[in-house]
Amino acid sequence: MLKHSRLSLRKRESLTGYLFISPWIAGFLIFTIGPMFASLYYSFTDYDIISPPVWNNFANYKKIFSGIFEALITHDSSKLGDPIFWQSLKVTLTYAIMALPLGLIVGFFLAVLLNQKIPFVNLWRTVYFLPSVIAGVAVALLWGRIFNPKVGLLNPVIEAVLHVKGPGWLADPHWAVPSLVIMGLWGVGGGMIIYLAGLQGVPTDFYDAAKVDGANLYQRFIHITLPMMTPVIFYNLVLGMIGTFQYFTEVYVITNGEGGPVRSTLFYNLYLYQNAFRYNHMGYAATMAWLLFILVLVLTLLVFRSSDVWVYYEGGLKGRE
Amino acid sequence: MKRLILILNLILIGAMAIAACATPTTVVTSPVAPVVTEAPVVTEAPVVTEAPVVTEPPATTGEKVHVTIFVGLGTGTDPAQIDAENALAAKYNSTHDKIEVEFLIVPYDQSRERLDAMIAGGTAPQLLGPMGIETTAQFLNSLEDLTPYIQRDNYDTADFYGPAVSLNTYEGKNIGLPLGLYPSFIFFNKNAFDAAGVDYPTQDYNDKTWTITKLREVAMQVTLDVNANSATSPDFDPANITQYGFDNSWDSIRGWEVMWAPANMGRPTTSDYKTAIVNDPDWITGLQWYSDAIWKDHFMPDSAAISGLDPANGDPFAVNGLAMWMSNTWYMSESLNELPFKWDLAPTPFNLRGTRIAQVDADGFGMPKDAKNKDEAWEVLKWLLEPENNLELCRIYGCMPARKSTETAYKASLAEIYPSINLDVIFNAATYLDVPNHESWVPEFASINNDVLAFVQSQILTAGEDHDAKSVLDKANVEVQKILDEYWATH
Repeated sequence: MLKHSRLSLRKRESLTGYLFISPWIAGFLIFTIGPMFASLYYSFTDYDIISPPVWNNFANYKKIFSGIFEALITHDSSKLGDPIFWQSLKVTLTYAIMALPLGLIVGFFLAVLLNQKIPFVNLWRTVYFLPSVIAGVAVALLWGRIFNPKVGLLNPVIEAVLHVKGPGWLADPHWAVPSLVIMGLWGVGGGMIIYLAGLQGVPTDFYDAAKVDGANLYQRFIHITLPMMTPVIFYNLVLGMIGTFQYFTEVYVITNGEGGPVRSTLFYNLYLYQNAFRYNHMGYAATMAWLLFILVLVLTLLVFRSSDVWVYYEGGLKGRE
Repeated sequence: MKRLILILNLILIGAMAIAACATPTTVVTSPVAPVVTEAPVVTEAPVVTEAPVVTEPPATTGEKVHVTIFVGLGTGTDPAQIDAENALAAKYNSTHDKIEVEFLIVPYDQSRERLDAMIAGGTAPQLLGPMGIETTAQFLNSLEDLTPYIQRDNYDTADFYGPAVSLNTYEGKNIGLPLGLYPSFIFFNKNAFDAAGVDYPTQDYNDKTWTITKLREVAMQVTLDVNANSATSPDFDPANITQYGFDNSWDSIRGWEVMWAPANMGRPTTSDYKTAIVNDPDWITGLQWYSDAIWKDHFMPDSAAISGLDPANGDPFAVNGLAMWMSNTWYMSESLNELPFKWDLAPTPFNLRGTRIAQVDADGFGMPKDAKNKDEAWEVLKWLLEPENNLELCRIYGCMPARKSTETAYKASLAEIYPSINLDVIFNAATYLDVPNHESWVPEFASINNDVLAFVQSQILTAGEDHDAKSVLDKANVEVQKILDEYWATH
């Protein structure tokens, strides 16, 4: 005889669902949300890890934001409470401005190429995707050697082909960030695969109809491929943006955690790491982490907001159905 | 059935959550809890007035008390060194039935984080070492004052070289016992001098002609371009140098500067640690000498050249890229007999004042304040620094043993390895040490050294940057002063 449960089927299914995901939720609460709130508390303290934290109100935040107006008026960065913080933010933004669009464009371009009917297409796809699965440390060590201005592989090629002396790359403060951008392009295969999947999901009917209407290749790309791919571009943009603000491993390995030469590769996360684990300024590092979180959150919300006018979903532009 | 599964799942999740939040277990294994007291009560420096409140080593039965020696803050992590350390631990464990020793090897670049985590997590290792002066400075507030233990056991420190003891003493507290010293001197490549037709540097510490000016002159003569022109030749091509005349190891800018014997030597502040003196005239003179050596005289490699000389190992002397290499005895632990050229040693030159400063590195062992089983750790520490073991450890790490009584045996062992090298240069160097040391404590040690002074060094070593020492150091002085002001506002 069936025993009737006091819960409805819907509720029982919900409960079962929650039960199955509960290990993850428990992990998320204990290992992500818990430390997040702990770090929020630490951001208002002077904490050296070894001794108990000491509450210092907004001192860490004040240090970061003090002197901004004086520095702007006098054009003297030494007036800033922590000039190195702003240098690290500048380096990170510079990298993001260069790496993000370039990564999106190159990844998309490769996906379009590898979506064509060409011989050995699967081999080419594998070749371009492969670097993206190599660990950051290995990539950093490899490119560190390639970029070496004295014994690296790149400069002799430049000198042989272009007949000019190659730059100092990672040893030159002006070339260090562009070098990292170039290095990053080696790993666009990850984004490329997502674009490729998106391209293969574009209904061929659209192209056929456009051909019947007399649209050429360029017109089909601009008016069909690109709009249909905007959700994928949007996805890669959001993930890529967050990724650029989390840039750390490669620069840590290449510069031995220093961010040199002359702080030219002192990324935000590297400076945060230095504060936390080299200088034992854990409270200040927690402050930096929260400011980064807020910055990335605001930028992500802006991108989401902008998606209303450029991301095309099948029902039309989002919010303008 | 579903309810049973539900309950089991809830129990499982609850158990996982509790396990995740539980306090980690410690490594103490003794079933009979040793009577370990609180940290020794030490009064304000410099004199310890209260009686030490350390206990006698406890008589334990059953399982041995575990003493972990944390290695990785300096040398000691090479495979050959690890084998030797394990052999030493086995030697101890086979002859002691109450204490068990283990070397915990942590890669250098992870060691500080790991130690922080261990101390914060209540599982501090019992001993730290070998740790250099810099590490001691960074962990100063976490280290136990060993004075009460020394007094309790009437431990005789007279056999240690004076500087070795003083480098482990801060404000009257013995925060470590010395293992060894690493005096500095110049390794020179005889083949490079022969090829350039230049006389070898003197090995006589009394030769007053061996000055910084002379070093520059010689270094330029042995710097060669691709066409074998020396840096003194008008045809010299600085864009294609094949052999540099001189480099100063991997030292920090504080280590660079002590050769000029500035005020307060290797310390970038006044004696009260409150005022920055980074733009002291001697600092400027010294830094300008290095800057000119790279960009004007071309006998010293810049950062790009250094990375190109030996990208794999970062050892430009070993790959025949340098004629002279200012370094310390720790370089002697490398396989120098396998170098593809003949070499020997020369003293650090006299500075412009006519004095000589040979900066020294040093290693010792310390005990974290929060460690458990401190009495056992002290026993192990004493054993490690017995003359025979001191000598053995220094063979492993390449240091000059801190015990004077081992000097003859150490000399003999070195002479056996390097029969054709003038080893007197090493021992004489130990009389020209930098005090205060170039790695000694300053407030916000890592910020001043890594944030500001490493940046200065990077500017001097990098093409296209400001290479005017006065301008660079004036700015650095402002930054250091700012850090000091912030520190003293809260201390």
